[in-house]
Amino acid sequence: MTALSAIALSEARRAKAAALVRERGLPHRRIEEWKYSDLRAALGEAGIGAVVAEYLITNLPYGMDVWDLTRQDPPAWVTENFAGSTDNTMSAASLALADGGIALRVPAGTTLTDPLKLDFTGAGHVRALLVVEDGASLNLVEGVGPAEFRNVGFEIVLGKGARLEHLRICPALEDAVLVEEAAVRIAAGGVYRGHFTGFGARLSRMELEIALQGEGAQAHLSGVALLDGARHSDVTTHVTHAAGNTNSTQLFKHVAAAKGRAVYQGKVTVAQGANGSDSLQTAKALLLGETAEADLKPELEIFADDVKCAHGAAVGDLDVESLFYLRSRGIPQAQARRMLLQAFLEDAVAEIANIDNRELARTEVLTALEAVT
Amino acid sequence: MLEIKNLHAAVDGKEILKGLTLSIGAGEVHAIMGPNGSGKSTLSYVLAGRAGYDITEGSVIYDGEDLGAMAPEVRAAKGVFLAMQYPVEIPGVTTITFLKTALNAQRRQRGEPDLDAVGVLKLVRAKAKALNVSEEMLKRALNVGFSGGEKKRLEILQMALFEPRLAILDETDSGLDIDALRLVAEGVNSLRSPERAMLVITHYQRLLDYIVPDRIHVLAKGRIVAEGGKELALELEAKGYEHIVGQAA
Repeated sequence: MTALSAIALSEARRAKAAALVRERGLPHRRIEEWKYSDLRAALGEAGIGAVVAEYLITNLPYGMDVWDLTRQDPPAWVTENFAGSTDNTMSAASLALADGGIALRVPAGTTLTDPLKLDFTGAGHVRALLVVEDGASLNLVEGVGPAEFRNVGFEIVLGKGARLEHLRICPALEDAVLVEEAAVRIAAGGVYRGHFTGFGARLSRMELEIALQGEGAQAHLSGVALLDGARHSDVTTHVTHAAGNTNSTQLFKHVAAAKGRAVYQGKVTVAQGANGSDSLQTAKALLLGETAEADLKPELEIFADDVKCAHGAAVGDLDVESLFYLRSRGIPQAQARRMLLQAFLEDAVAEIANIDNRELARTEVLTALEAVT
Repeated sequence: MLEIKNLHAAVDGKEILKGLTLSIGAGEVHAIMGPNGSGKSTLSYVLAGRAGYDITEGSVIYDGEDLGAMAPEVRAAKGVFLAMQYPVEIPGVTTITFLKTALNAQRRQRGEPDLDAVGVLKLVRAKAKALNVSEEMLKRALNVGFSGGEKKRLEILQMALFEPRLAILDETDSGLDIDALRLVAEGVNSLRSPERAMLVITHYQRLLDYIVPDRIHVLAKGRIVAEGGKELALELEAKGYEHIVGQAA
């Protein structure tokens, strides 16, 4: 057996994923979901090879199980939860081509307050699996390192009543092409809170495929993008309410300056029988200057009864009245603009429940604002 | 302190002020009264330096300097304060943070050292009580969810904190009930001083019962059409603007 088969856990599965990638090729702008993020153009001749990206655990809380996916004879919690198949092209690519990866588990009933710090680095493809078993809870802080091209296939499984707080901060990486798909499955009563702060890359795409599979499951997604130069950031979400009385909220705030380009595509599906579901989706963008761009696309698909769904999107400029008000109180223009930008982004940052995570994200945003003019 | 000579000003290219002349000395309180659309708010924005309110002719000299050439924040640091008719709501910025930032921004421009958070809080508390501005209000986002009276009280609190040399009050009475009006007027009166000039802009005579001006100017169609002492307000109230404006025309 080669290491390659170990990662996909079966040759058949791996071959199927590879076939899907071959059939579709690299996503490009004429594919609706990739309209604002032309991966094929960004990669050009280089394409995507079978190169290994790396993971790096910088803090492992006591009580977690770790399994390197290249090892033979994985334990049951890995084989039972590892992806069977996927319809997502890039997720299939990581399944077919990744030559390394990591599986992590918080055993049932275990509450961990020390954060799991997991960074993805280097170029190529990598797989990760995180299982938070029934009644367990974890705080995950995900780091993003530079790479010409990296594709992360991340699977997150939350058991009954499990809780996960997930913070991902992507620094400004001018030359990087970064794609990540996080598929999150949430059982009854489980709560996932994900926050995605991004300062953009040559192409940066964070895809979230959230499945609320059990009664009362919740997902709360939020994020901030602050893009200067010619940086790009795409957050694409698909939340499926597959069970009754499930709840999802989304709040994304984006600021694009210079030739920055902010993309949010969010789809909420309420499946048949998922009655009593509640979903709220908000995306707002501020454009600083004529060459900046924002594309916001919220979507709803409802097949159930008695559901509450609301969505909204707005693109605007800094409010001139507010700017004048602050300046008339003695606050210089540049500082007044920063204050208003921070105020605009703040409610998305405030969505982060964990205090340390929130301060971390807030500090990053403040630092980045200093550089935006 | 303030010398306005033959001031012409346009808003988005349309001339609103058409040759206004006015002079205010230190320690004086002047009132500008006038019907809707006479140019009262335009005058206040021109003096505070709002973008899009352009001086097309004439001059505004403040303490010997050309006010029109200064950025709004420079005017503020030099002691010009405008209490606005409609204070702006800014979600995401708490009132106390805003006050601290503004206070220190002005101090920095004047070459004075920053006040720390404790120093600012002390100062704010000392002034807030008299204006019935609660600790809870200071923690809320700036003007968000504030009642009309709360917003105006916060404007006057800023005036007390910033200690301007020239305070312009734009329709400070609008939207206030009689108790709120009295509270705000007391706040303003306590700030009257021989070093400070005030320009009170109002549509109604009511406010001038509480803040008694040294001089009243009547503004109509972008010009001063009548001037007088405090008794002019009563005449306006009795006879209406039409009478005075008509006489002048």
